[in-house]
Amino acid sequence: MSSQFEERSGIDQIPVAKRPATTPPPRPQTWLLKLIMALTGSVLVAFLLFHLAGNLKVYLPDDPRLHFNEYAHWLRGLLNPLVPGETFLWVFRGTLVLCLVLHLYSGLTIKIRAWRARGGRGRAVNVTKHHLVGRTMIWSGGIILAFIIFHLLDLTLGRGVASSKFSSAASYDLPDGTAVTDAYSNLVHSFERPSVAAFYVLVMMVVAFHINHGIWSIINDFGGTAKRTRNVFLFLAAVAALIIVIGNASIPLAVQLGVITL
Amino acid sequence: MRLILEIWRQDRPGADGRYETHEVVDATPEMSLLELLDRLNHQLVENNTDPVAFESDCREGICGTCGVDVNGVPHGPRDNVPACGQHVRDFKDGQTVRFEPFRSKAFPVLRDLIVDRTGLDRIIQAGGTIAVDAGTAPDAETVQVTHDDAERALDFAACIGCGACVSACPNGAAYLFTGSKLAHLALIPHGKQERAKRARAMVDQMEHEFGPCSQIGECALACPAEIPLSAIAVVNRERIRAGFKKGKAN
Repeated sequence: MSSQFEERSGIDQIPVAKRPATTPPPRPQTWLLKLIMALTGSVLVAFLLFHLAGNLKVYLPDDPRLHFNEYAHWLRGLLNPLVPGETFLWVFRGTLVLCLVLHLYSGLTIKIRAWRARGGRGRAVNVTKHHLVGRTMIWSGGIILAFIIFHLLDLTLGRGVASSKFSSAASYDLPDGTAVTDAYSNLVHSFERPSVAAFYVLVMMVVAFHINHGIWSIINDFGGTAKRTRNVFLFLAAVAALIIVIGNASIPLAVQLGVITL
Repeated sequence: MRLILEIWRQDRPGADGRYETHEVVDATPEMSLLELLDRLNHQLVENNTDPVAFESDCREGICGTCGVDVNGVPHGPRDNVPACGQHVRDFKDGQTVRFEPFRSKAFPVLRDLIVDRTGLDRIIQAGGTIAVDAGTAPDAETVQVTHDDAERALDFAACIGCGACVSACPNGAAYLFTGSKLAHLALIPHGKQERAKRARAMVDQMEHEFGPCSQIGECALACPAEIPLSAIAVVNRERIRAGFKKGKAN
């Protein structure tokens, strides 16, 4: 180019290898974080499906209140008498919390690295053709975390957001005479509030999108490259998401419509 | 055809960039996007102004030199086609077309639409080669490879290293690129001898400069070599496998 463009420095003067190839990658390494996300995510999805199985007892034809409360009581004493009292319950809860913490930590770390790697400051935002869900996992995850806290306050602890009729007292008698917490009434009382019912339904949709992309990611993070395996996971991801959203979101709707009553 | 081109201009690395708007009134539908830029540059030089710097070489989709973001999508509106194979006919008369350099923190802009893609070369330097003494050319069929393996290795070897996958990725990840190299070399006999060592070195180098993968899938839509999305799973497969082969080369 002629000398009239001298104010623009030539490309040949630009130092090329600015970053030496020997510097270590960020720790913990991304592939390891992704593996942790996949493992903990699998545990959490498995828990969600078991949780759903218990929830669906509200639809049992004869005396769902009895079956639901009986089941809730059975959960507290799981693996008795192999382990005493609520030992297993707390080990179970501890595992879930650990998975949640690791999942959150890995997800946040990955997302922060992603934001830093994006580049292109001052330019217009890139267009993406599909896959909005995959890009917004951090936000759907945040909503789910807020929901978990809400859900625990609402139906486990009975504080704050719980309905005024919540009771953790052993007020329901099982056929064998054991008095247990009336979890069924607590559930119905909570879902009788329209705003709470709507919130549960909306969050279940968010959960469905989150686990749909999550289950699809599991096969990638574990390194599954076979075409058929990948298609199976795509299918499983869709099925699991549908089961979760239809199964869970139907319960507050059923309470609102008067299908489930005390 | 009349097209309005909005083009990213940047004088040197690290300098502030800006959009410049130009009009090309004599574009024709059969022009490629690179020819459109050529036409614009012809106009700019005739008016005694500075032409737009962009890269291109073969202009038939086999070299991986050309690469621009067109309306926010690497290479242009059609999936799996390099910029040289994208045509003006995909735009409407009078439409505004925005040309930007590939986007990634690992791809610093050198000038206008040219970025420094040597980050990809450093991934290859880290281990994307075969460093075993293969001796002189062996007799045919001494080293046997099944037809399926050969075909699959060739599918992954199709990567032309253009960097569109990185620019397409909202996370700035180079998983599709790295995965295609790892998959290609892990499938052939000579490549298998350094399989674990290669996975560790290439993944380390990739993570050092590029972002993490979130399975979003934009990369496989942009890739002009049609590398399948399963290449991103290869990265984790090879790295996890290498984790079980501590200290070993294969």
